[in-house]
Amino acid sequence: MTDVADLDRYLPAIAAGDARAFGAWMSEAEAPLRRSLRRFAAVVDTEAVLQEALLRTWQVAPRMTPDGRPDSLLRLAHTIARNLAIDETRRRRTVAVEPALMAEGIDEAERIEPRPPDPMLRRVIALCREKLPPRPGQALAARLGAGGRQPDAVLARALSMSHNAFLQNITRARKLLAACLRRNGVELEVP
Amino acid sequence: MSTPTNSPEDQERLIEALAGAWRPQDPRRIRFHPAFFDLDATGRAEAFERTAQLRQMEAALDPEGLSTTARAVILRIRGQNPAGFGS
Repeated sequence: MTDVADLDRYLPAIAAGDARAFGAWMSEAEAPLRRSLRRFAAVVDTEAVLQEALLRTWQVAPRMTPDGRPDSLLRLAHTIARNLAIDETRRRRTVAVEPALMAEGIDEAERIEPRPPDPMLRRVIALCREKLPPRPGQALAARLGAGGRQPDAVLARALSMSHNAFLQNITRARKLLAACLRRNGVELEVP
Repeated sequence: MSTPTNSPEDQERLIEALAGAWRPQDPRRIRFHPAFFDLDATGRAEAFERTAQLRQMEAALDPEGLSTTARAVILRIRGQNPAGFGS
């Protein structure tokens, strides 16, 4: 029987091609996968690597056979992400350290442990968002609405902002939200 | 590794840009954000921390709990196989 905390509970639907199930899986798998790439942050674009790893995980999921241990898809995704990061490090030949060594020493439990979304965070951040000044609120909404589909320069133009002003407004929104969360007793997880 | 020298304002702008989820798309290879190449190791590490913080906020603000990273991946899945995406 699959434990409710085991992300493999989504696996049958994902394997059947249900992208909503994959979205639900990503909502819990993204943070630990990102954490696992921390050591590569100075040498590869970890966001680009993570997106590619998630896409490849979706592609191979229908052919995956669970090994009986929890979170088999998450562990596979971790391996994919790590290998992509190593490949990109080698391809760009930017560091003297053997890339595989950079991936060693990461505690297995820490790097793959999924954590469910924090309901308190969801409740408080919605209230904090309502208090944002208009321009930071608009810039944040544009980023959220685009979902990574368009570059910031395009989003800025749609809001009649310069690219620089757009990025400054994102910075303001992020800092104001973080401060509001802290005032309400909510601390974001340290990656 | 080259070490770009940026003004504090440029550094801040580049870090914020790199913390976004948009990435150039190329089916043949992974493409990095242009800002990545203009940042030194310290700036890239700061962008990593900022990205992690932003994605938590984004997911908490999203009705389905998805960050812009997850949204970007779903858009790519949809682009590959529109019929296969649960509606």
